[in-house]
Amino acid sequence: MKKINTLLVLILGGCIALSAQARDKRDYHEMVYDSGCKTCHDQGMKAFPSDNSCLQCHDMSELAEQTKREGHEARQNPHDSMHYGQEAPCMECHGEHKPKQAICMDCHNFDFPKFKQ
Amino acid sequence: MQTRRSFLKFGAGAAAIGALSPLSVSANSSNIKWDEEHEIIIVGSGFAGLAAAVEAGKLGAKDIVIFEKLGVYGGNSTLNAGQACFANTDLQKKLGIEDSAELMVQDQLKSGRGYASEQLLKHSAELGPYIYQLTKDCGCVYRDHIINTGGTSATRSHQVVERSGAGFIRPMLKTARSYGVKTKIRHKFEHLITAKDGKVLGIQVRRGYHFGHEDSGELINVKAEKGVLIATGGFGANVSFRQALDPNLGSEVGCTNARGATGDGLIAMLAEGAMPIHLSFIQSGPWASPDEGGFGYGAGFSLYNFPHSIAIDRNTGRRFMNETADRKTRADLEVQRRDKDGNPNPALLIAPKHEAQKDPSMANVLKYNVAWEFDSVEAIAKHFDLPKKELKAQIDDWNKYVKTGEDPQFGKRMNMSTGIYLTAPFIVQRLWPKVHYCQGGIQINAKAEVIAAKTGKNIPGLYAAGEVSGGVHGVSRLGGCSTPECMAFGVTAARSMMKA
Ligand SMILES: Cc1cc2nc3c(=O)[nH]c(=O)nc-3n(C[C@H](O)[C@H](O)[C@H](O)COP(=O)(O)OP(=O)(O)OC[C@H]3O[C@@H](n4cnc5c(N)ncnc54)[C@H](O)[C@@H]3O)c2cc1C
Repeated sequence: MKKINTLLVLILGGCIALSAQARDKRDYHEMVYDSGCKTCHDQGMKAFPSDNSCLQCHDMSELAEQTKREGHEARQNPHDSMHYGQEAPCMECHGEHKPKQAICMDCHNFDFPKFKQ
Repeated sequence: MQTRRSFLKFGAGAAAIGALSPLSVSANSSNIKWDEEHEIIIVGSGFAGLAAAVEAGKLGAKDIVIFEKLGVYGGNSTLNAGQACFANTDLQKKLGIEDSAELMVQDQLKSGRGYASEQLLKHSAELGPYIYQLTKDCGCVYRDHIINTGGTSATRSHQVVERSGAGFIRPMLKTARSYGVKTKIRHKFEHLITAKDGKVLGIQVRRGYHFGHEDSGELINVKAEKGVLIATGGFGANVSFRQALDPNLGSEVGCTNARGATGDGLIAMLAEGAMPIHLSFIQSGPWASPDEGGFGYGAGFSLYNFPHSIAIDRNTGRRFMNETADRKTRADLEVQRRDKDGNPNPALLIAPKHEAQKDPSMANVLKYNVAWEFDSVEAIAKHFDLPKKELKAQIDDWNKYVKTGEDPQFGKRMNMSTGIYLTAPFIVQRLWPKVHYCQGGIQINAKAEVIAAKTGKNIPGLYAAGEVSGGVHGVSRLGGCSTPECMAFGVTAARSMMKA
C-alpha cells in the first residue's frame, strides 16, 4: 500500500511538473517541442541547455540589428549593450519555462515593449 | 519574494553540504585528482581580475585563466560610473592641475579617519599614472575633462567617455584575450585547495554554474602553477552577511552592486585562516532612489543636484541634513526618515528645473519614472502628502540662504548654489540609501599577498586584489578611488605571481 502511495505521488508529481512545463512555453517555439526536449537540452535533461543552444537557430548579430535603438535609447540595445556588448548569454534575460526579465532591469526601468516575460 | 526566499533556503542547504568538502580536499591534497592546470588562476572578471590578466600577459605568462561565476563579465566594475582618481597624469598637466601621489594619500588618510593603510594607499597612488597608461593602451578612452569629487584637494577623477566602468571592462577584456587569456563564464569558485602546510595549490570550481541554482554544473579541481588571485569583489549583495556586520543594513536598504557581490572569495579565504579586516565598514550611497534597482539613473541626478537643491523630510516639510555632507552622514540620516509606524518614508530631493536640465541625467530620471516634474509647491505637497505651509517656508528660507551665501540650518557650503534659486518648476526625486561599497575584506600586503591571521605572514600561493581586500581605505572610501586601487593591486598580484 505504502509503495503504491509513493508511486502515485511520484506519478502525480511528474504530471504536475510536466503540465507546469507545458503551460510555460513559447508558442513560437512549438516546432522545437515537436522535435523533442533534447533539441535545446543538449547537456542532458537535468541540466540547463548550453549557452550555444539558442544560437543554433538565432544569430546574435541579427538579433542586435533587430533590436537596434535610436537617439536617446541607442545604448539600450539589449543584444548589444554598453555593459556586455553581444556577449550576454540568452538565458541571462530569457526563460523558456519560467518568466524572467532583462538583466538591465536590475538597475534601470527601461521599457522593452516587445519583451515577453 | 517567494522565489528569492526559497532560493535562500536552498542555498543554505547547499552551503552546508559544501562546507564538508574543503576539509576532505585539503586533508588529501597530495592525492588530488586535478582536472585542469594553469600557470595563473584569476577568480573574478572585474577591474582587479582583468588588470592582473593584462599585466601577467604583458609579462609573458603563457597560460592564464579567469573564472567568472555569472553569465556576464565585469561584476561591479562594469556597472561603475567610470570615474578613477589618478594623481600626476599627462591630462592633469595639460589642464594645469598640480597634484601628487603624496597629496592623494593625504586626502585618503583623512577620509579613512585613522584606519586606512598608508603603505597600501601609497603603493596604489604611485602606480596611478602607470594604470592610467595601461588602460589607455588597452583602448580605454578618457574624457578631456577631469571631475572634482568629494574630499579631494586636487581635481583628479578621470572619467572614460562612456561614463561607465564598461568603458574600462570591455577594452580590457579584449586586450586580455589578445594575450591568450582564457575567460570562462559560469565557473563558480567554491573553495581553495591547500597543502598540509597551508600553501594554496589550486581551487575547486563549479563548471556550468547558473546563478541562483547552487547545485548546477559539476565540480572540478584546478591546479595553479604560480598562484591563485582572488578578485571576487565585495559582499554588498549578501544581505545576511552584511546585516550580521552592520545591523542597519537589512533588506529594506537596497544595493547598487551586481548580483554576484556575495562575498564568496572572502568567505573562502576566511575558511583558510586569512586575516579579516574592517568588515563592518560598509558604505551606503545617499544619492540612491528607491524607485529603480541598483545605481540606476537617480544617483547621477542627485549627485549633480545636491549642491543647489534641498532634501526634505515628508513628515515635517523641512530639511534634515547638509545635502553635501559625506556619504555616511547623509545615508544615516536618510534611513531615519520614517512614517509613524516606523516604515520607510523616503525623503524628497527638490531641484530647480532651470538648473537640473543642464545635466543629461534629468532626461533619464523623468523618462524612467525616477523623478517627476511639478509646477508649484502646492503640487509637490499634495502629491507626496506633506505639510504645505512648512514646505513653503522652508523653500523661502533656503532662497534667503542662497542670497546671503550662508546656511544657518546645516552649515552647507553655499558656493555651488550662488545665484541658483529654488523656483518652479521643480524636479523631485525620492531618496533612500543603498549599500554600495565594502571597505573591509581580507588583509593583503603591498605585494597583494594574503596575510594569515595566525602568523601575520603571507599564505603562500594566495593573492587578493580589489574590493575583496580590506584595510586600504579605512572608515570611508573617497569617490573614484576604488577603480585605481583595484587595478593597482591586480597589476601587483600579477607581478608577484610572475616572480613566484
Ligand atoms: C554602481 C557602482 C558605481 C561605482 N562607481 C564607482 C566609480 O565611479 N569610481 C570608483 O572608483 N568606484 C566606483 N564604484 C566601486 C567600484 O566599482 C568597485 O569597488 C569595483 O568595481 C570592484 O572591483 P573588483 O574587481 O574588486 O570586483 P568586481 O568588479 O565586483 O568583480 C568581481 C567579480 O567576481 C565575480 N565572482 C564573485 N564570486 C565569485 C565566485 N565564487 N567565482 C567566480 N567569480 C566570482 C563576480 O561575479 C564579479 O564579476 C562603484 C560601484 C558600483 C556598484
